[in-house]
Amino acid sequence: MRGVLRGLVSTTSRMTVVDLEAGLEHLSRGTARHVDTLLLIAEPYFKSLEAAQRSFALAKDLGIGRIYMVANKIRSPRDEDTVREFAGRHTVGIAGVIPYDPAVVEADERGTAVMDQRPEATSVAAIRRLADQLLTTAA
Amino acid sequence: MKIAVGGKGGSGKTTVAGTLARVLAERGQQVVALDDDSNPNLAVTLGLPHGQAASLPAIPRDWLEEKPDGEGGTRLELKVPAEDFIDRFGQPAGHNLTLLVMGQPSHGGSG
Repeated sequence: MRGVLRGLVSTTSRMTVVDLEAGLEHLSRGTARHVDTLLLIAEPYFKSLEAAQRSFALAKDLGIGRIYMVANKIRSPRDEDTVREFAGRHTVGIAGVIPYDPAVVEADERGTAVMDQRPEATSVAAIRRLADQLLTTAA
Repeated sequence: MKIAVGGKGGSGKTTVAGTLARVLAERGQQVVALDDDSNPNLAVTLGLPHGQAASLPAIPRDWLEEKPDGEGGTRLELKVPAEDFIDRFGQPAGHNLTLLVMGQPSHGGSG
């Protein structure tokens, strides 16, 4: 279905949000090749940041226009510093910082959307800011 | 804008992708959310009830064509406009928002 997905993404007039297969392999196989914005979700620990950074390098080689890291499950200013320091060292831009949020865990457990469960949740607010940031900086 | 969201399993990528799609739709954008994960869960984070989001049903054979993949094999590509495909196979997920689950590779007439 890869060719179909690619065709859909590159020719639809709608805005698209693709939830990619977990891991790196899909990038080199080209599923993500036709997007103009790639968000790499990273948690504030070394292995997760490393994985995001490898994806970043790969995506850059593929010629994807805008590639950002999004820090997720941030529990403290120290967590945020860890991500910012890592991103700065690897010259990766950060498009958003999403706090650790028990409302997400709760929604997961109930099999509901966090936006329906708790529209005022801190994580939802952070994703709203991320959306606005992407919309205002879009080419 | 064509966005893809990636990350390690457990990083929260599906929650971010689903919530982002919802927010963009709320902001007045026509959004199609595509679930390309082999363990598709995007529907839940979009707010669709469990079990309601089916994978793609069989796609009519004449909607697809086989093209060389550049590596000696072939791959299936879409022969019809993307909007027709989305209108037919997309699942409404609220105002301005449509979900397509790509996960299961089933296509009519191929086997």
